[in-house]
Amino acid sequence: MLKKISLSFFLALAWATTCDAAVFYPTSFTLGNGLQVVVVPNHLAPAVNQMVWYKVGSVDEEPGKTGLAHYLEHLMFRGTSNIGPGDFSKIIAAQGGRDNAFTSYNYTAFFETVAADRLPMIMHMEADRMRNLQIKPETATPELSVVLDERQERTGNNPEGRFQEKVQRALWPHNAFGRPVIGWKSEIENLSANDAIRFYQKHYAPNNAIVVISGDVDPDQVMRLAASIYGSVPRRDVSPRHVLSATPEPSTHRVTIVDAGVEQPQIEMHVIVPSYRTQKKNEAYALEVLSEVLDGGEVGLLYRRLVSEQGIASGVGTSYDPDDRGDADFTIAITPHSKKDHQKVAEALQDVLQNLATQGVTEELVAEAKQRLQRQAIFARDSLMMPGYAFGMALTTEHTVADVEAWPDRIKEVEVGDVNAALKNLVSDPHNLVGFLLPDLHASAAAREAAQPVMHHDMGIR
Amino acid sequence: MKHAASKIIQCVCFIIFLGTSGAQATTIQEVTSPKGVRAWLVEDDKLPILSMSFAFRGGVEQDPASKQGLADLTMALMTEGAGPYDAAAFQQQLANHSIEMRFAASRDVLTGQIKMLRAESDPGFDLLREVLIQPRFDAKAFDDKKDQQLTELKMQFANPGWQARYGLFRFIFRDHPYGQRHLGSIKSLASLTREDVRKFAADHLAQDNLVIVIAGNISAQELRGKLDHVFGGLPQHNKNTPVAEVHWPVQGAKILIPRDGTQTQFLFSMPGPKRNDHDWYAAEIANYILGGGGFSSRLMQDVRDKKGLTYGIDLSLNPMQHAGLIVGEASVDNPKALQAWDTIEETMRHFYNDGASAKEITAAKDFLTGALPLSMTSTDRIASVLLSIQLEDLGVDYLEHRNQLIRDVTEEDVDRVIHRWFDPDYMTLVMVGQPESLMSNQTQALVRD
Repeated sequence: MLKKISLSFFLALAWATTCDAAVFYPTSFTLGNGLQVVVVPNHLAPAVNQMVWYKVGSVDEEPGKTGLAHYLEHLMFRGTSNIGPGDFSKIIAAQGGRDNAFTSYNYTAFFETVAADRLPMIMHMEADRMRNLQIKPETATPELSVVLDERQERTGNNPEGRFQEKVQRALWPHNAFGRPVIGWKSEIENLSANDAIRFYQKHYAPNNAIVVISGDVDPDQVMRLAASIYGSVPRRDVSPRHVLSATPEPSTHRVTIVDAGVEQPQIEMHVIVPSYRTQKKNEAYALEVLSEVLDGGEVGLLYRRLVSEQGIASGVGTSYDPDDRGDADFTIAITPHSKKDHQKVAEALQDVLQNLATQGVTEELVAEAKQRLQRQAIFARDSLMMPGYAFGMALTTEHTVADVEAWPDRIKEVEVGDVNAALKNLVSDPHNLVGFLLPDLHASAAAREAAQPVMHHDMGIR
Repeated sequence: MKHAASKIIQCVCFIIFLGTSGAQATTIQEVTSPKGVRAWLVEDDKLPILSMSFAFRGGVEQDPASKQGLADLTMALMTEGAGPYDAAAFQQQLANHSIEMRFAASRDVLTGQIKMLRAESDPGFDLLREVLIQPRFDAKAFDDKKDQQLTELKMQFANPGWQARYGLFRFIFRDHPYGQRHLGSIKSLASLTREDVRKFAADHLAQDNLVIVIAGNISAQELRGKLDHVFGGLPQHNKNTPVAEVHWPVQGAKILIPRDGTQTQFLFSMPGPKRNDHDWYAAEIANYILGGGGFSSRLMQDVRDKKGLTYGIDLSLNPMQHAGLIVGEASVDNPKALQAWDTIEETMRHFYNDGASAKEITAAKDFLTGALPLSMTSTDRIASVLLSIQLEDLGVDYLEHRNQLIRDVTEEDVDRVIHRWFDPDYMTLVMVGQPESLMSNQTQALVRD
């Protein structure tokens, strides 16, 4: 049914390449309206996943409007001029499919998984809400309550959520990363349908979006479908993204939360480090290798030293996500051993890191870590949604398709000197922040465990 | 608006057939080794990857009452040293060969999973054999893992969902093994010994309670030899203790577990079907319509979409070997607890009294028949779906019949299960939090009833 004429029209400004590199072997192209499309064939099952990513997140909110990006994400399910409120998910479910969405600092993403032959349907639906969203008070108001409920569930009722919020605020005091993605309660309460409409008009457009399609599909056919379905969504002027301010020093070096709801202490050390975007040479890749050397499950150096040898911790892990437009956060999280004092555990971590930085990690450990990471790239192909995440996160943070595909090579090029330099910087950074989430000592573990249900009301029925 | 929505759906009519490999059914081979070890195999050489899932019937339910937490601890120790390797050396072997190996205990089964590159499958099978035939349970590893389980238990004390679950189980199951906690208690963990772990593994990991599924890059011929190599040395017979059927409390109850915080966690439950119940598919349809259907369900629409009383509400069937449960879950702001609970009860009562519409039943069937293939999109997921099918004795040809069984369900069938299983009068509600509005009203409600 597709006509050659319309095809060549929509592809007039498009280019297409098939990458020859090493992770997902994608086909990617850009439509005339600026929409970037990435296709990854995967024929393991007759299914397809589509992810639509917008280059907008909580960092793009105006002052006083925290939570707006996430609120709009919710409203994207509340109807267009073609689809009734709540019907989007029903239409997907009627195909046995599931759909959802998420918002982060740098991006907002929507996704659906359906049988492979239903791909045109979900492309039509996403193209529809890319241009035809309708936000009306009668649906926008209850949805604001849902968002407030979500905030309460994540923080009001969850000591760990409150802890994370406080740590982030201390770590990035003058930066959008210090504000919670879900927003501050008092600011969410004041968001209006008009705020959401303006935000939609400013940021939701094909030229500000990425579509990743992964599954049992043929790239040429997807290209034709994309041109005909998404190609008709008009390009729109979008607001330039906020420039992220240079990373300032954290406002404090310690964050401690004592909470009666907590029984098991947890410790986190955060250091602000370069991302793919802000690295000068290959520091981000070196940090990924370092993270694998330090963590890497039970073979990681920190587990070996702190759990196996010193018996001071019960568990330890690192996390580092270099897909970011600004600097990134390198985190080491420790669960102290049940019989050890949390201060001592934090000191032991510092000692271990200092020693490692002085002595350096060995060539052998770096080689092992690099091999494990490179093999992860093979395992990544055994997943329907992994391509969507990988390309979406990269392309919304000013990285490229080629960068994703070259990842195993970049990891391979990291040398032991790069890793040790990264480790030295990490340890010597004067701006690190240590957070403690601690139990209220007035409530003992035994007392808490003994806290049984206090009230049984038999309903007196039957 | 409905009419406009159908305009979008019509696009489906213009579909180009996109699936290049087609919607072929998953082909399952039944493989039997020379020594008689049996497995299901889905052979696929598109990726250089191989996933195996296996399970031993009997799980946490086999924990003696005084030794709660034993099954979990035993499974955590399976990858902490075997044969010539201590914990560190064993983990190093797994890392060097990029082998993912995991063991876990659930209520009725002990499960194992291994995922590896085809090129590393020989060392993978060798290491798994060591684990099953010569686990070490060294003192050092035992102490480390026991402390990890203890810290995990303490972390769960802060989790309202966990508190609600075990409050519910304690009420429903009482002294039955299903009332026991996976992680155990501070006291029971302290009493566990290495000998307990060794005996648990020896008693419950055997050939006659074992089921196996492999998906990915391996041939039946090769697999036959590997099955004997890995599993052939296990004892022939398990020493599982028979577990009784659950007798439900005759009355529902409202149970409060006080907890600081701004929200109250609701967990509500009614007796439900076991997996082998003749009404299973009708129950799946009814559950989907009422609360299992994600954003499409009645509870989600009434409680979340129309009134904004919760971020999410979900209802699910929980079939176990010796009991079936229908369990619902939601978290609500303390001041809105009464309104939320009234709405939930009203929606459930309306469903019980008036049943489901033909349109809803069709929508549920559409989802349920379409969803299963979409859950089998990686080698490990294929293996895990087929493992459940095998554990429930549904037969190797189950995937061919399943959608027809769902389509065959009639409106009368759905009506019947709604009256059989979805009676809100049988409901038990556990509240974790401070649902003040609900508590004060509850006293009145009791008088009224």
